[in-house]
Amino acid sequence: MSNGNLPKTNDLVIRLFNERLSLQVSKSALFVFFMLVVSNVILMALSLTQGAYDMALSDVWEMLVSPFSSSQMTVVVWEFRIPRILVAALVGSMLALSGALLQGVTRNGLADPALIGISQGAGLAVVVISILYPQEASVWRPWVALLGAILVAGVIQFLSWGEKNGGTIRFILIGIGLAAFISSITSVLMTYGQIDRAMSALTWLSGSLNLASWEHVRILLLAVVVLLPITLILSRSFSTLQMGESTAIGLGVSTSVLRTLLMILAVGFAALATASVGPLGFVGLIAPHVARRVAHSGVGMHLLISAAVGAFIVTLADMLGRNAFAPTQISAGLVTSIIGVPFFVMLLLRARVKA
Amino acid sequence: MIRRIHSAHVQNHYSINAVLRHLLTLATVLAVLIFMFTWHVSVGAKSLPLDAVFQALFDGQAVTMTHVIVWDLRMPRALTAALVGGGLGVAGAMLQGVSRNPLAEPSLLGLMAGASFAVVMAVNTFHFSDVFWLPWVAAVGALIAAVVVWLIAQLAPGGLNSLNLILAGSAVTAFLASLVSVVLILNQETFEQLRVWLSGSLSGQKTNELKVAMPLMMVAFLFALYLSSKVTVLAMGDEVALGLGLKTGWLKVQVLICVVVLTACSVALAGPIGFVGLVIPHVVRLFVGVDYRWVIPYSALVGACYLLLVDIIARLALRPEEVSTGIVTALFGAPLFVYLVRARAR
Repeated sequence: MSNGNLPKTNDLVIRLFNERLSLQVSKSALFVFFMLVVSNVILMALSLTQGAYDMALSDVWEMLVSPFSSSQMTVVVWEFRIPRILVAALVGSMLALSGALLQGVTRNGLADPALIGISQGAGLAVVVISILYPQEASVWRPWVALLGAILVAGVIQFLSWGEKNGGTIRFILIGIGLAAFISSITSVLMTYGQIDRAMSALTWLSGSLNLASWEHVRILLLAVVVLLPITLILSRSFSTLQMGESTAIGLGVSTSVLRTLLMILAVGFAALATASVGPLGFVGLIAPHVARRVAHSGVGMHLLISAAVGAFIVTLADMLGRNAFAPTQISAGLVTSIIGVPFFVMLLLRARVKA
Repeated sequence: MIRRIHSAHVQNHYSINAVLRHLLTLATVLAVLIFMFTWHVSVGAKSLPLDAVFQALFDGQAVTMTHVIVWDLRMPRALTAALVGGGLGVAGAMLQGVSRNPLAEPSLLGLMAGASFAVVMAVNTFHFSDVFWLPWVAAVGALIAAVVVWLIAQLAPGGLNSLNLILAGSAVTAFLASLVSVVLILNQETFEQLRVWLSGSLSGQKTNELKVAMPLMMVAFLFALYLSSKVTVLAMGDEVALGLGLKTGWLKVQVLICVVVLTACSVALAGPIGFVGLVIPHVVRLFVGVDYRWVIPYSALVGACYLLLVDIIARLALRPEEVSTGIVTALFGAPLFVYLVRARAR
């Protein structure tokens, strides 16, 4: 399978379908990805043991292999803890993918679905439907969130569309302005609800995995199964786009179509993740940067590593949030923001933003 | 010689014209302010006719029902709105002048988040309720946040440009907002106590707060007026200011103190009210140009008018419910922010 003619011998080259499809994957990146998956599994197992009742790892293992035992702890683990960590991991990887796509498409290292208003759009849509049509909220939530996010993304694109010069700055600043605008509308709904509804809305808006259920796992898994392969198929043209608009056009890529597709994917990932757990800030910002730092790789592999990093961050944030002030739970979104802001400031201090 | 006299004459002629124009504008703005104030007082659960309000306002002795409503119930709120609007307008104008950044504003630069974080922590941790110290607590928070934002923007590549300042401001705001949320989730009592205040509201009896904040803000206004000519010079650039013999570093510290006091008093009175400091100076500059000796007093007056109007809208829009004033200012201000970003990039 590996080809001796290539200068880089530590790359794994896979050729399939009579060499019609070939993949070149850096072995070190593959190794990093593998290690990340392993550490994710370990972290998830650890997270399973934590909660109102602490358990030993061996107990968890026992419950995992015998799901139909009727002990109370088995029910707790299978009904609450497992869906929760699965949702955490899925949401984390989706936000990371969204962030990686956004940063690539806008060629702006500071792009994040929460920073530029996409998460707020989804959030507003969900708060609106929860207040106006609470009965139908659970069914329509993902779709409404998707709609809200797409609307906001469209508005941002429309407003920041124009001259090339300063486009990325404008994109971010307009996103910040829109986020403030949308948050103020959300606050109108929040302030005048009953205190218990406002309290639960506050928890949701701060990005909580409290209500995670198997239903969420199903929706998120479906989204990943549909969207991830499309993303990976597009990753090849995506890599040419990152070399610059003219290079991509020169290599025969239809950039406007590709951009639109990638934006839709980014928005889709962020919206569906937000619909399940509320806006989780800064995951989409951090994960792609960390992924770039831990392994040099092509675009496709970078997306996968970002996803693994994102899953790790959210699972960890959820675990920290549950334990830091137990029995009160701090939403994972608050933890990611508190971790994420210093990271953002670090990026701001190091990376030159193209002005 | 003749030319010199001529030019002096022309200059004189122009400045008389300018003064006349300013006096006219000033009279108009003051009239609008008095009208807004009266209108604001007349709106409420018991709607009062404007002339009755006017009579009660300027007829100090009568003890009628209207008189009591106007002086004891509605005046404090109208005064608060006017003070907060004026204070934020001036704070925004000074920040924009000193940083030469059209997007500078107390809430976007993180000052409000700092002030509200300090207040929330004080209320939550120490069950702090001493009205006298509240503005000072807020001021410490605002000052620290301002310095942190300034440091981040200064150290970032590119220095103190709009983008760095706004990004640093929104990062600090996001961080402090998360911490505030953590505190509120942990303590529902504090949440219930502060949730309306945190969205920037003028409701509630603020008489005691006013007694503390009003003198402070008046001093800060006078200080701002004193600084205004120097701010005009500073707005032309650090080199120009240095060349004209200004101690720019010291001046910036003075401006910062003034802005922090105005912001902190506003937050202590009404919670974080965003975008007023952004909107007002831009509107004012449209009419009076870039001379901060005029921009600052006008920002105070127009800011007061604006917040009175916004508060009227906030109280009338969803009657009998009341929308927080800060939410309405964000609804109006954020689109202007977007417009400014677009206009500047052109």
